[in-house]
Amino acid sequence: MKLTLELGRKSRFSRASGCGMMNNDPITRRESIKKLLKISGGLALTGMTAWPFQRDLAAFSGSTRQSFVIEGIGRSHEYSVKALTRKVFEAAGGIQRFISKQDVVVIKPNISWARAPHLGATTHPEVLEAVVELCQEAGAKKIRIADHTIHDARRCFAITGAGMVSKRTGAELVYPRSSLMRKMKIQGHRLDVWPVFVPLVEADKVINLPVAKVHVLSGLTLGMKNWIGAVGGRRNALHQDIHMTIVDLAQFFKPTLTLVDAIRIMIHNGPSGGNPSDVSVSNRLILSNDPVAADAKAADLFNFRPQDIGFIRLGNKWGLGTYELEKIRQSKVII
Amino acid sequence: MKAKHFVWIRRISQSFFLIFFIFLLIESRLPLDIYMDYSIAITAEQNIELNYPVTFFFQLDPLIAFTSFISGHQWIKGFGWAIGIVVLTLFFGRLFCGFICPLGTIHHLMSFVRPALKGQAMIGANQKRPDHKFKYFILIIVLLAAILGLNFTGLLDPIAFLFRSLSLAIFPGLGTGIKEIFDLMAQSDIKILNHISYGAEIIVSPVFGYGYEAFKSAWLIGSIFLIILFLNRIRPRFWCRTLCPLGALLGVFARFSILKMEKYSEKCTQCQLCTKTCQGAASPIPGLEWDPAECMFCFNCFNACPEDAVVFKLKWPPKANKAPDIGRRAVLGGLAGGVSLRLLGRLDGRIHKVSDPRLIRPPGAVSEKDFLKLCQRCGLCMKVCPTNAINPTLTEAGMAGFWTPNLIMLQGYCEYTCTLCGSVCPTGAIHHLSVKEKIEGPIRIGSAYIHRGRCLPWSENGPCIVCEEHCPTSPKAIHLKEVTYLSGDGKTIRVKLPYVDLNTCVGCGICENKCPVRGRPAIRVMAAGESRSVKNQILLGL
Repeated sequence: MKLTLELGRKSRFSRASGCGMMNNDPITRRESIKKLLKISGGLALTGMTAWPFQRDLAAFSGSTRQSFVIEGIGRSHEYSVKALTRKVFEAAGGIQRFISKQDVVVIKPNISWARAPHLGATTHPEVLEAVVELCQEAGAKKIRIADHTIHDARRCFAITGAGMVSKRTGAELVYPRSSLMRKMKIQGHRLDVWPVFVPLVEADKVINLPVAKVHVLSGLTLGMKNWIGAVGGRRNALHQDIHMTIVDLAQFFKPTLTLVDAIRIMIHNGPSGGNPSDVSVSNRLILSNDPVAADAKAADLFNFRPQDIGFIRLGNKWGLGTYELEKIRQSKVII
Repeated sequence: MKAKHFVWIRRISQSFFLIFFIFLLIESRLPLDIYMDYSIAITAEQNIELNYPVTFFFQLDPLIAFTSFISGHQWIKGFGWAIGIVVLTLFFGRLFCGFICPLGTIHHLMSFVRPALKGQAMIGANQKRPDHKFKYFILIIVLLAAILGLNFTGLLDPIAFLFRSLSLAIFPGLGTGIKEIFDLMAQSDIKILNHISYGAEIIVSPVFGYGYEAFKSAWLIGSIFLIILFLNRIRPRFWCRTLCPLGALLGVFARFSILKMEKYSEKCTQCQLCTKTCQGAASPIPGLEWDPAECMFCFNCFNACPEDAVVFKLKWPPKANKAPDIGRRAVLGGLAGGVSLRLLGRLDGRIHKVSDPRLIRPPGAVSEKDFLKLCQRCGLCMKVCPTNAINPTLTEAGMAGFWTPNLIMLQGYCEYTCTLCGSVCPTGAIHHLSVKEKIEGPIRIGSAYIHRGRCLPWSENGPCIVCEEHCPTSPKAIHLKEVTYLSGDGKTIRVKLPYVDLNTCVGCGICENKCPVRGRPAIRVMAAGESRSVKNQILLGL
């Protein structure tokens, strides 16, 4: 299995360099980054020098590559969500381990529904704000918050609190629109070419910031499923093979980190909810550099075995990560 | 003050009101930069409302206030402004037409900047004509039909006409063209073009719309607007002189104006400059009697006269000026027309028998009978709808409801916690609901039904739960039952079949909008079950 995956990867890059130059052709994520760096002048200089080093460093230092999953629990009465977020990142070795100076960081929250934060349908704004601040402290050059929302984006930004976060922190909130959807080669098992929300591929680092909730078809909406909000096109057709398409997208958008917001989790009526009674308070955050492990850990909160959730099982099968949490470094932070 | 100063005051006033009108028109949309403090959002559902008084010009319009009152028996919000305009007209004549009306200003520009007619042709075009009585005919039709319960003032009221034409046809038309260019640039492989497109789009879209705005039958709205503009080349301010019912109404009130034209025949050399520049064809030349009902107080004649033979003066106490030349035929024809239109408007049986199942009115709309008394078809609700669901009707609401709002769920849907359309409706045809009222009512605009032959799981074409996923109510109005079927190649497939719970469904239409079966979705919304109707119901109720 491992071998075929490697072969698959190789062919992805070779094909991409062959035909990506033609106008209007779908291009891969890596190629688009390269092009961006090449063409945008001064930025290219810094980017081209810094970028290969970072990758090399990441490849050789064993510690960053090692998978981990950290569970943050807010146990004290009236603990601060922001403080918990910071503690979780500290336990992972600090944000500087993942975000370098001058990085363009894109945060992908789940703000798909125009629902108030307490309804649990969207990522908690305080978690989002804390992550943006952490990236700023790490010296990120540009921080973008990008989600292709389901409800009207202006209303989502306002009601979920993401707009306020953007205003307070100065992070750029990207308005999803047709000009920002570009056909790219996903080259997955089920999806080949699909329109992708451009900011998520034109980034040095991507942080996935999903909210944990139930979903009637996929079982749960967690980190990997959050990538459905990063594409355009006929998204409503993805449900016809939901688990495989989720894994395809998760393989395409490999995030640097996944932070699952489980401060409150939606246990009924998912994924849109709408009533405070659909929500249960869990006071947890789960941080991992392994997208499958993050989801597996979060599935636990809903009393699901990870292998019972199709996309977690498939993600494990196709080598995207592991749901066998005992095999990776696990830790817990309690405040 | 010299005549020149009057003309400049008019020009400044016209520019100010035209710019203000367009500014409010642009602001009639949900902005990108609405910030809501989430600590407040955590405690309660918030109402999102616009920052500007976008209905200001509708409040200023006496015809809208008056017809809403005689037809729907209610004073619209801010009608004091309209009364102010009437008082202004009583004392100073049709100053509104010359100084304020944004549509008048556009016509003025069209006929003044590059006039199509020169010399004698212009003097001939500015003579008083019998067809100027036509506007009184229109006014009487509109008023009588309104009294009888069919208010279509907005079709020809200048404020509603201009707002509808600009916001549904001209701006979206330009916006679509511009957006096509941006999308083309964004698809390009040249990075700098992409970035220009991303940046420029963010600057341009607040004005022209955030996506491809589409309005059914907007081509007709736009064509009529362009034709009316073109008419200025036949005769200056053709619309204002011949068609405008508001101009006619204000003309009647101008009878006792204390601002009057004084003519000095002895100074006049019959150079005809006053007639040549006259906007209203109000017979300014000495020798003919001045027509206060036609005069728009543009002060052009005052300014043009080299001999000071035409002067405007304030005269107290008020004395009757020349009566407006309405004519018996316009009155009788108008009365006959108003009654006929009202009766013809009911012939389709949409009020008394059955309405169109696809006529889905915005949330908070009053009952259809009252709706036809109040809706001005101005297009404000259509312009503000963030999902572009509200469209002008063509045939769905019959002749009586021509260009009234109708939700087309294929194009958009009604957002569960959005109440913008009601918050901007100038006449209250759509109630101003709070989010709480809308959800807890609940305000239903229709009911969803599933077409099992097209639905993917029902027709054994595989799994899909998109309608259930998007359903915004809690508990969801769409529930699922799991079944298995044998596919063609003998595999057992598990699917979840959707069912609609009519007790919970509010008819928001997001299911129809998001259904993967395109063209004619497998789940659709019909108007039956709408809160505003007593008859158009399905369930027995509580």
